[in-house]
Amino acid sequence: MNASSEATQGSHRENGATPSALSAQNVTKRFPGVIANQHVNFDVARGEVHTLLGENGAGKSTLASILSGLYRPDEGSVLRNGKEVRLSSPRSGLSHGIAMVHQHFRLVDRFTVAENVVLGSKGLSFVLQPKDIEAKVSEISEKFGLPLDPRAVVGELSAGQRQRVEIVKALYHGAEVLLLDEPTALLAPPEVVKLFETVRVMTSAGKSVVFVSHKLGEVVDISDRITVMRDGQVTGSVKRGEANAGQLAELMVGREITLAPRRGTLDPGDVLLSVSQIHLSHDQSQNRPNQPNILSDINLKVCSGEILGIAGVSGNGQRDLAEVISGLRQPNQGEITVCGLPIVGLGARATRQAGLAYVPEDRLGTGLAPSLSMVDNLLLTRDRGFLVDRKSAFIEAEGFIKKLEIKTPGPLTPTRKLSGGNAQKVLLARELFSSVASRVLVVCSPTRGLDVGAVEAVHALLDDARKNGKAILLISEDLDEVMTLADRVLVLYRGSIVLEAQGIADDLERVGQAMAGLAS
Amino acid sequence: MIIGGTRIRLEARLTSPRWLVVVVPVFSVLFALVVGGVFLLFTGHPPIRTYRDLLDNGYTSFYGLTDTLGLATPLICTGLAAAFAFRMNLYNIGQEGQLYLGMVGGAWAGIALAPHLNQFIAVPVVLVAGALFGAFWVLVPALLRARMGTSEIVSTLLLNYVALNLINYFIYGSRGFFRDPTTPFPQGRLIDESARFDSFGTTNTYPTLIISILLAVFLFWFVRRSNYGYETSVFADSPQAARYAGMNSIWLTTSVLLISGALAGLGGAMYVVGPAGKVDPGLLQTGLGYAGIVVAALARYNFVAVIITAVLFAGLRVGGSALQASSDPVPIAIAVVLQGAVLLFALGGEIFRRNRVVVTRVVQTAKVEA
Repeated sequence: MNASSEATQGSHRENGATPSALSAQNVTKRFPGVIANQHVNFDVARGEVHTLLGENGAGKSTLASILSGLYRPDEGSVLRNGKEVRLSSPRSGLSHGIAMVHQHFRLVDRFTVAENVVLGSKGLSFVLQPKDIEAKVSEISEKFGLPLDPRAVVGELSAGQRQRVEIVKALYHGAEVLLLDEPTALLAPPEVVKLFETVRVMTSAGKSVVFVSHKLGEVVDISDRITVMRDGQVTGSVKRGEANAGQLAELMVGREITLAPRRGTLDPGDVLLSVSQIHLSHDQSQNRPNQPNILSDINLKVCSGEILGIAGVSGNGQRDLAEVISGLRQPNQGEITVCGLPIVGLGARATRQAGLAYVPEDRLGTGLAPSLSMVDNLLLTRDRGFLVDRKSAFIEAEGFIKKLEIKTPGPLTPTRKLSGGNAQKVLLARELFSSVASRVLVVCSPTRGLDVGAVEAVHALLDDARKNGKAILLISEDLDEVMTLADRVLVLYRGSIVLEAQGIADDLERVGQAMAGLAS
Repeated sequence: MIIGGTRIRLEARLTSPRWLVVVVPVFSVLFALVVGGVFLLFTGHPPIRTYRDLLDNGYTSFYGLTDTLGLATPLICTGLAAAFAFRMNLYNIGQEGQLYLGMVGGAWAGIALAPHLNQFIAVPVVLVAGALFGAFWVLVPALLRARMGTSEIVSTLLLNYVALNLINYFIYGSRGFFRDPTTPFPQGRLIDESARFDSFGTTNTYPTLIISILLAVFLFWFVRRSNYGYETSVFADSPQAARYAGMNSIWLTTSVLLISGALAGLGGAMYVVGPAGKVDPGLLQTGLGYAGIVVAALARYNFVAVIITAVLFAGLRVGGSALQASSDPVPIAIAVVLQGAVLLFALGGEIFRRNRVVVTRVVQTAKVEA
């Protein structure tokens, strides 16, 4: 079947009337209360990279899910090679040669690469033939430039390697059209470069790639075409060479935005946060003696009026570092002082009282209690006494809603009903303005998952806090964010600081390489 | 689900209107009565008349109502116990055992301490002793849960059987402290008169009912206004947020379970100062501990609503037992079927509070084969 369809494809191409490899026609998909896709048209040709660009909630993931068979459209149709197909499940999508690589990998950690690749195959012999499968996996991975050891256990692979497993898996199952959902989210810059090489090899082999992303910068390099979505509708489509980042941003957001870096203008003042020789080892009870330390020999100082950025790929000890500094975890050794007070061993409340505020990465669930109201969440880090004073918190909440333009039905609405950007504003408001006279702020991935408008607002808040003399430690996996905001940058790799870079002048490439463990 | 060209499906509600909070339970009870009616028909009892008798015996006659209120008194306590723990996602299902221990503690205080005490503090001392014994019975599960994450469901459940056998041992298996020494007949030793409440008139309702109701109202206020209540709400919603804010999860887990146990134990002590006056194995048959879980679930862990659901549930019990004695005896099992049906429908009704039913016509489209 594959061969015959390829043959017709070939003849069509000669005639200049190639039907798209995959297209969505006039697709509408509604979820309770939202129209995720409204009369959307989208297509990808053979050998083409077509990027679907848009903010979170613009409807691009919904469209990808419809194209791969995960969702069925309420209206409109999906065409494969010009013929309408009804995809009832991802499996039926796969039988039509359509595969999606999800942002959060769907692999079995305890299986080997080869076992994961064949997972879900029909027609496997009752007794597995590991040799044959491994040979096939190696063949695919060599052909497409995806170096992998078929016998490696997936749980021990890096994010980039896992992604390769997902791609090899899709190719093994005969995928002709690959939908990659936010494929660069977890990758270090050099890994992104490798991924792009693979994408080019695949397209030159006649495969089609749909690249779903909200990162403006990178999509311009890789795409043959870029289609921008906003609020469930397509707002524009540009070809390679016609694209310009500012224009695309406007299409995404619907208004002009500035992407200019923000820099500290003040001279840094006194050292407010000082961390020296912090070591943190794995929990002894887990009994993994060969594991290296989670954090080893961390030293850093943050001054008043300064943002110190910590760059690094997810899972290199960022969360642990933040928890140690905020008093939630005890380091095995080392000293931490907040505004001159040593805080190791005192716990989270005392650390807060010493003047430290903390915006955790997981904003809804850790930073905020999701089912509780904004009022109750403002109380979270206060000194509360025996009876809770909701009245003053209510007034404070109203003030924040006005001041920060937080979109919410009211101070009593559960925070989980707020959008990511508005929830983050609530959290930042509490940590910046409401907590007991905080002078040091630890923020982790403050704009993760936020749309461009909210990113702008959060960055402005952090910048203002810097101008007001706070000492800010910004821990983020988003390199662009660190580079635009931070006065100095440290790179965290496998629990150690492997590079210290001063300001913007320092080249981006060195930081990127350090993130991937290639520090000189 | 598609029936004859019409598709029926559930769609999540974005907001659930307030009136549904009342309408759904009411319809749940009505549907449960319909299901119970089917059972009655099959067993040859006219449903309408049986329900009328049930209503009369359980709620609308004076003695029926006062019997119901008497039974509801300890039931409110076990209901509060369940609600207090469950709303923090701590599933103490050992109210049964904690209730028995409360009875034992109350009887001990009533026999050993009350004779030496002022009449006004004798009853409070008995009640407090019952609460302490109830809390004691959940102490080990609480510590295991808080320190090591051991499932409190299993440990509290198993301790129910220990408590049950303990009572049997005290009354039937030994001639110990709790057994009446004046008679060879196995029964509990009566506590001091000073530690007992008189019932209201000739009814089976005791002043402890007022204590139960006040307690429910107090808890309602306490969890909303106090710092402790606030911390439990945060912990229930997100343990990570509680940890982030520096709350002590071991203390919260342990104390919530202890308070839950104390509330159930108080129910047992109320039985002692009220109708029983002794360690009475008769309590083992009533299942008030397990019923507390049902009462709490029906009230959706709202402490004031527990008062209402406890009275509703007690009425079914009282009315159900009375049916056995009527001229056309209806087996008690029918009353139990009704209770089960009420619970099942009430919990199932949740689906309709969170979702709405959407009915659409399905237009048959010709399938295009790819």
